Amino acid sequence: MHQTINKSFIVLILLTIIGVALSNMPHSTAIVALIILIAAIKFITVGFQFMELKIANNFWKALLIGYAVLIGGIYLIFLN
Amino acid sequence: MSLTTQKSISNPPGGLLIWIVIYLELLTYGIALVGLAYYAATNRTEFHNDSLLLNRTIGGINTVLLLSSGFLIAKGVQFFKQNALQKTKQYFALAMLLGLGFLILKGYEYFEKIDSGISMDHSSFYIFYWLLTGFHWIHVLVGVVILFFIRRSIVIKEDKVNIMDIEAGAAFWHMCDLIWLFLFPILYLIL
Repeated sequence: MHQTINKSFIVLILLTIIGVALSNMPHSTAIVALIILIAAIKFITVGFQFMELKIANNFWKALLIGYAVLIGGIYLIFLN
Repeated sequence: MSLTTQKSISNPPGGLLIWIVIYLELLTYGIALVGLAYYAATNRTEFHNDSLLLNRTIGGINTVLLLSSGFLIAKGVQFFKQNALQKTKQYFALAMLLGLGFLILKGYEYFEKIDSGISMDHSSFYIFYWLLTGFHWIHVLVGVVILFFIRRSIVIKEDKVNIMDIEAGAAFWHMCDLIWLFLFPILYLIL
């Protein structure tokens, strides 16, 4: 369990750095989509690994994934 | 707690009540974020120019602070389950320090904005910025207080503290992470 948390943390930090680096590039649909995708992956990783939703009922997992997809999707639609 | 109990819909980690609170909070922020997306879409240039006035370095450092703090809390909860109480207390204390770091750095950013004359009436973007990040700042403050009391109960009662209470407090802290993980890219990076 400790190892999974350690690995998740490294991934989260790397994704944060990548997200900020991408934002310094000229904004295009692909860049915005990537930054939103990174945010959604980080969101789900914190929920599943740090909050231990991975061992919870599928209902709670689906709500969290659904939220990330919905917010990400709405931004992709509105900003493109 | 057995895996079968955890898998029950009425028994998520930390208990049902905290998850109802978490999803209600996420729903509230979600509605505000949809509102922001709608207004940003109707006035792209203004929102983009206002977003450029935000300090991405501070936003990025604050993201790392919150993620690191969440990481320490997740580790602390695991150590508690292994009855390593000394480590639990250390990790919770460090997590609180990082949380305080977030509050101070965000406070500095607010000071910088007010000093430059950028308050809530500056533009539509900044109405969203101040409201969304301001309420989030209050949540982080409440989270630090919750972590303080959880740690205190571990110091006083040691292993007699209910794991559900610790998981619920940790879940509230992670919720602050979750909210920020969308606030940061939306306000600072993509608009």
